[in-house]
Amino acid sequence: MANPDIDKTTPIGVIDRRTARLQDRIVVFFVGLLMVVLLASFWMIHLTVERTAQKTVRSELEGSARVFKYLLELNSQKFLAATSVLTKDFGFREAIATRDRDTILSALTNHAARINASGMGVIGLDGIVVSDSLSPGSAGKPYPFADLISEAGTRGDASGIRLIGGKPHQIIIVPVLAPLPISWVSISFAVDDAVALERKRLTSTDITFVDASTNPPRILATTVPVSRQADLAKSVAAILKAAPNATRVNLAGDEFEVLSIPLEDARRAPLHALLQLSVEEGLENYKLLQVVMLFLAAICIGTTLLGSIRIARRVTRPIAALAAAAREIERGNYNITVNSTGSFEIQQLASAFTGMTRGLAERDNMRDILGKVSSHQVAEQLLKGEIELGGVEVVASVMFTDVRNFTALAEKMTPTQSLALLNEFLTEISRIVEEHEGVVDKYIGDGVMALFGAPVPREGDTQRAVQAALAVRDGVRELGKRLAKRGLPNPEVGCGLNTSNMIAGNIGSATRLNYTVLGDGVNLASRFEGLTKRYHVPIVAGERTHDQSTGIVWREIDKVRVHGRVKPERIFEPLGAVGSIDRYDLDRLQAWHDALEHFRGRRWAVAKAAFESLSGMQGYGRLSEIYLGYIRDLSATPPPPDWDGAFTLYEK
Amino acid sequence: MRFLLATVLASGTLHAATLDVDVKGPDGKPLADAIAYAVPKGPAPALRKREVNVQQVDKMFVPMVTVVQTGTPVNFPNRDPIRHHVYSFSAPKPFELKLYAGTPMAPIVFDKPGEVVLGCNIHDQMLGFILVVDTPYFAKSGADGKARIEALPAGEYDVMLWHPQLALPAPAAKPLKLRADETNALSYAVTLRPSPPKR
Repeated sequence: MANPDIDKTTPIGVIDRRTARLQDRIVVFFVGLLMVVLLASFWMIHLTVERTAQKTVRSELEGSARVFKYLLELNSQKFLAATSVLTKDFGFREAIATRDRDTILSALTNHAARINASGMGVIGLDGIVVSDSLSPGSAGKPYPFADLISEAGTRGDASGIRLIGGKPHQIIIVPVLAPLPISWVSISFAVDDAVALERKRLTSTDITFVDASTNPPRILATTVPVSRQADLAKSVAAILKAAPNATRVNLAGDEFEVLSIPLEDARRAPLHALLQLSVEEGLENYKLLQVVMLFLAAICIGTTLLGSIRIARRVTRPIAALAAAAREIERGNYNITVNSTGSFEIQQLASAFTGMTRGLAERDNMRDILGKVSSHQVAEQLLKGEIELGGVEVVASVMFTDVRNFTALAEKMTPTQSLALLNEFLTEISRIVEEHEGVVDKYIGDGVMALFGAPVPREGDTQRAVQAALAVRDGVRELGKRLAKRGLPNPEVGCGLNTSNMIAGNIGSATRLNYTVLGDGVNLASRFEGLTKRYHVPIVAGERTHDQSTGIVWREIDKVRVHGRVKPERIFEPLGAVGSIDRYDLDRLQAWHDALEHFRGRRWAVAKAAFESLSGMQGYGRLSEIYLGYIRDLSATPPPPDWDGAFTLYEK
Repeated sequence: MRFLLATVLASGTLHAATLDVDVKGPDGKPLADAIAYAVPKGPAPALRKREVNVQQVDKMFVPMVTVVQTGTPVNFPNRDPIRHHVYSFSAPKPFELKLYAGTPMAPIVFDKPGEVVLGCNIHDQMLGFILVVDTPYFAKSGADGKARIEALPAGEYDVMLWHPQLALPAPAAKPLKLRADETNALSYAVTLRPSPPKR
């Protein structure tokens, strides 16, 4: 508070230009953090699961591929065995031996039916078709799959998958032994959708047979739904390229892992089986995991949201409470307690705040009391450190007021009532003084001592002092009217006003100080207040007050010589602002001042006549009487030649 | 064979020639069961009416390879305690002896020359051969790969060689002029087909 420059404050803390709510920030931060962590873990899990799923699906596919190959082998063994048995049938051999084409053909058809083969043929040891149930017209022509015959020649039998009429068939070649080979029998089994379906049942994968010799590769048989076949056909090249590994393929929007298995030595027939598994199926467990994780994540986010809101509130609620308390303090209400909850720091802040409140309350209280015992301005300036408490010489106006017949008034009332009435007066007078930027220095009994121009001198102090005196006069008159209505005597106010040099400062001991002004001018003002009773005028002002104010209509009262002083003082009464006095009153005022002129010019007779004519007029009675008394005295004992027309005050 | 030799000896050995044939396989080892036969370039010699037996012993044809002159009746006595069903789908003589025990009543007469493959319908592993030739002058090589055709009248012959696994084409007929009391020798080194796979 001893800071010389009151406008320069000490900055504490860091300025943050973002002014979002702290609570929101905390919540957003925590939830955001959680979301980031959750998203990252989701992503990681998804990645891992995806890879695992792919691995799983691929290893499943590889297993299926092994099963498929085994089935292929098994099937060919089965067909070979069946065919071998068939060709050893004596009747069949006999039929072959007949070399009668029709007989052979009918035997072939019959035997093919026995083992559900789609066709059966007999080929001579020379490779010429003897008869073929699938294409009777091929008799006498070379057998198209000479490689199989040749293989059978070395191995004893042969099995292969070949296209017959554009359709894949498993072809088995076995010799007809009698007991040496007398011819070859070929048996073919169609590899169709039914076979694919059967394989699917055993391998648990979708099976597709493709012919890769055409472009685009042709699907020969499949368990894949028609809707996905087009995409599959397009992907065949890529799938074959990836062999023997599986590859990822999108079929009509769904992901599949597809593996290709050559059905044959590629040089012999570009036929492949495609085994495919849905990746979705591999991810089935993950789907459940995902649901569980989403559920957990939702719980997590919810808990964090609630938790962070709670924590944020714990942090911000005391801050909000402190803010509310600060607003209360701003309004002047110090009667508050900040409940310190939450963290240690908040507790510290709250306790500091409470301490601050107490400090503020004490200071405000002091200011209040100061204001009450002295004046708000003095108190304020004292607190602000603007006042040097040492004595200084100032030019100021001092006003003493006194309720003239208060004692008489008090007699008719209880002490409480009279005190209340007194306070009513004093309050009104204090109000008027403060309104005119004056300072109530002290109350003296039923009177008030007010300062204008001290402790802080300002332009127009004297002018305001005069106006304040007039306002006090009028105010007390108004109050008097109200009191009269209550049946109480009408009080009169006496007001002494003087402007002069004086000493201002604190008077008293080290522990108890009293700011006031001292000096002759101050005493004079007090004396002027006393003179109001003598002259029966509400205000008596000194000469300097008269000189330093403008726009006021003045009535000169007298010229007094205060006891102990050589120089007489002219005293005046302000009547009101220029313009507020009517013509009639101004004429009388002129007459009065003329009479005063005559008196001071020792023209006793003229003066006497003038005072006598004024004595009947309101407001001039008492004054005229005094002057007529002077004239009487002075006529009896003429004054010395150096008489200055002053009246000497003896009483103090 | 004893009959054969006896016949040869009985029909005037003084004017007879002998042909020694030595057959070696692809590895240079002696080849058994090879049949050498000499077809005279004159009129076909008369049939020596003799019955020949192809037995079934331990589910095998014994002998495995038999050579007969066209028109020779062959008996198939079954020496096994089980029945056999001997058949052949070979063009010179398709026949079938349905499950029988002992010796069937009538022998099978092989009246056309050629190779007859014998089988048993209930024993797939049984394999036998009968080579039917238009000459009575033939011999089968033994384990030493040697075959001797004796009692050959002087004259011109085409000497042929046959073996169940002989790679085709078979060696060309070898023309040979035989004089009486002369012993000729022929040697063959042949290539064989691989054995038929056992099925």
